[in-house]
Amino acid sequence: MTVFHFLNCAALTFGPHVVYYSATPLSEYDTIGTCVKAAVVYLGTALVKLVCLATLLKVPENDSFDPYQELMKIFIGFIDVAGLYFALTQLTHRNISQNHKFQAVGLGWAFADSVLHRLAPLWIGARGLEFTWEYIFQGLEANANLVMTLSLAALGSLMWLRKNKPRTLVPIIYACALLLATMPSITSYLRRSLEWQTPKVVGFELFSSLVMAFISWQLFSACQRPM
Amino acid sequence: MNCCSISFTSYSDYLADKKYLGGLLILLPEKLNHEPNNEDKGQVKASLAELEQLLLHQQVPYPVYFAFQDDHFDNLLADIRKIASSGQPASATTGGYKLVVSTPEPRKVASPTISNIQGWLPGLKGEGETEQLPTIAIVANYDTFGAAPALSVGSDSNGSGAVALLEIARLFSRLYSNPKTRGKYNLLFGLTSGGPYNYNGTNKWLRSFDQRVRESIDYAICLNSVGSWDNELWMHVSKPPENPYIKQIFEDFSDVSKEMGISVGIKHKKINVSNPRVAWEHEQFSRFRVTALTLSELSSPPDFLESTGGLYDTRESADAESVIRTVRLVSESLARHIYGLKGKNIDVFVENSSLAINPHYIQSWLDLLSRTPRVAPFLQKNDPFIAALKKELSEHTADVHVQSDVLDGMFTFYDATKATLNVYQVASVTFDLLFLLVIGSYLIILFSFLVITTRGLDDLINIFRRPPSRKVKGA
Repeated sequence: MTVFHFLNCAALTFGPHVVYYSATPLSEYDTIGTCVKAAVVYLGTALVKLVCLATLLKVPENDSFDPYQELMKIFIGFIDVAGLYFALTQLTHRNISQNHKFQAVGLGWAFADSVLHRLAPLWIGARGLEFTWEYIFQGLEANANLVMTLSLAALGSLMWLRKNKPRTLVPIIYACALLLATMPSITSYLRRSLEWQTPKVVGFELFSSLVMAFISWQLFSACQRPM
Repeated sequence: MNCCSISFTSYSDYLADKKYLGGLLILLPEKLNHEPNNEDKGQVKASLAELEQLLLHQQVPYPVYFAFQDDHFDNLLADIRKIASSGQPASATTGGYKLVVSTPEPRKVASPTISNIQGWLPGLKGEGETEQLPTIAIVANYDTFGAAPALSVGSDSNGSGAVALLEIARLFSRLYSNPKTRGKYNLLFGLTSGGPYNYNGTNKWLRSFDQRVRESIDYAICLNSVGSWDNELWMHVSKPPENPYIKQIFEDFSDVSKEMGISVGIKHKKINVSNPRVAWEHEQFSRFRVTALTLSELSSPPDFLESTGGLYDTRESADAESVIRTVRLVSESLARHIYGLKGKNIDVFVENSSLAINPHYIQSWLDLLSRTPRVAPFLQKNDPFIAALKKELSEHTADVHVQSDVLDGMFTFYDATKATLNVYQVASVTFDLLFLLVIGSYLIILFSFLVITTRGLDDLINIFRRPPSRKVKGA
């Protein structure tokens, strides 16, 4: 029954991306091309990130939390933001509304991230005889990651694509984007330094992603309103 | 559930019913001497011996594995007991367990070999003597047999005998290295294999000798299980005790034993040539009409495949002190016989002299033997252990020779003596189905929620009116 378990976990990990694409108007406007382009940009960004990590970071001897190393990691994490910026602004899309553009980019980004980081462990691990909760949590993490990437892309599109936004909201937008970009480091801090267990960390990720999504949505709709 | 808590009757019932089992895992106590007191230790030993005999003599239609008990197993057993007592089927949270042993299909050992190792200490011929010198042989079998070949280290049976032989060889090599103290007897040392199988190796070994060499053997002393006796040792012979040779040897032994404050008894058992069972090693010599005796702590001949160094016969069951006493008894009486010191009360191997018995040597060889499983068919001709024995014997004796032969086909052996057991915690099918339901409903709710928020309720209803291709994809 291990294949069954593998399929279950895969559905939990990748299902939401598919559902999101087919349920929202993304599918109606045929934005798959944008998603694929975003995924390709993600691949390039991941490569650059890997090179940076390999050059700038030493291999940790133990599993402890080293502030300097973590700071470097945060800076390297911002390469992601740069990648998203490139994907949102530089890619030429067919006439596609801003609304759909950030969704498509976020979706492609998150999906590429899931495939790259989670498919191989799933394939190797979840088909083993031993049952662990690990892969179920990993699937939930993928869900949280999707929500966060979408929020970040939404904020990114607000920052870079929308010109006439309310002045008062600008600092909030930037602060939220910063928070979202540092989220991977925050979870890593919780996991390593505070030694939270996986269920707690995943719970935190899900919760924070929902909160961030709500905030981003509010910001986005506030900017939509005619001034 | 350690070995003591198995009730043998229920196990016998299991066997009798031919109930189907995937396999049987027997957990052995980690170390026998960890038992709190001697009585318990004896009990564990006895029940292990009983279990082993049961396994060896019954047909077991499934694999039997042995493992040592440790904390991991304790936790596992506690979990399994909890599940069993709750009576509920195993689920992911309560933990069903799957025990998997991954070994390649065991293959038949094509021609099991036995290796006999021999070494000579040639005596000194007087000038002008042309006759061949008489020979005294000292023999011990070194291999073991047990229900678990990889755990059959046989410290007492017959590691102790082999160690005593090595020490005797070492002592006499010192005497024989100086021409002044070289005796008028050749000494032949033989470490034989195939002991558990009616001393098949001893038979092959004797057969390989020239008739003249065989006739030159004055007598042979076989050492068997001499590692755990208090003050009584038995001399087993197949000729009547009135026989002059036997009488003389027995007197030699009892002289020394009186001085040491121990007693040596004599037991006579006639051999029946038509019976294939050979209970003592000296009986193989007797069949070749060579005078021989076996020194052993066992007062009666063991049954077939009994006392062959099985599960319970670990380092704790052999005691270096007993081996030292055996060495002293044998070497003193031999020295008196060789140098004609009969009745003179001269100790040759006095402590603190250069000829003293070396307890460290005995200890370390006992330790080594107790770490090395020695079931003959799984010891190849070029096994490091055989090479080590050969090297050790050639340190002390000359003309060391390893004779390899094929074990006569009374048994078929299969390899794979060791295996790794993996214990997996597995989820039940019910859990998988439940999980599928949860994920399915989660995805459907997510789908509906997204459709309603982005396109409105009407669109959702429209989707269900259309052919549900998209919905299937989503779910």
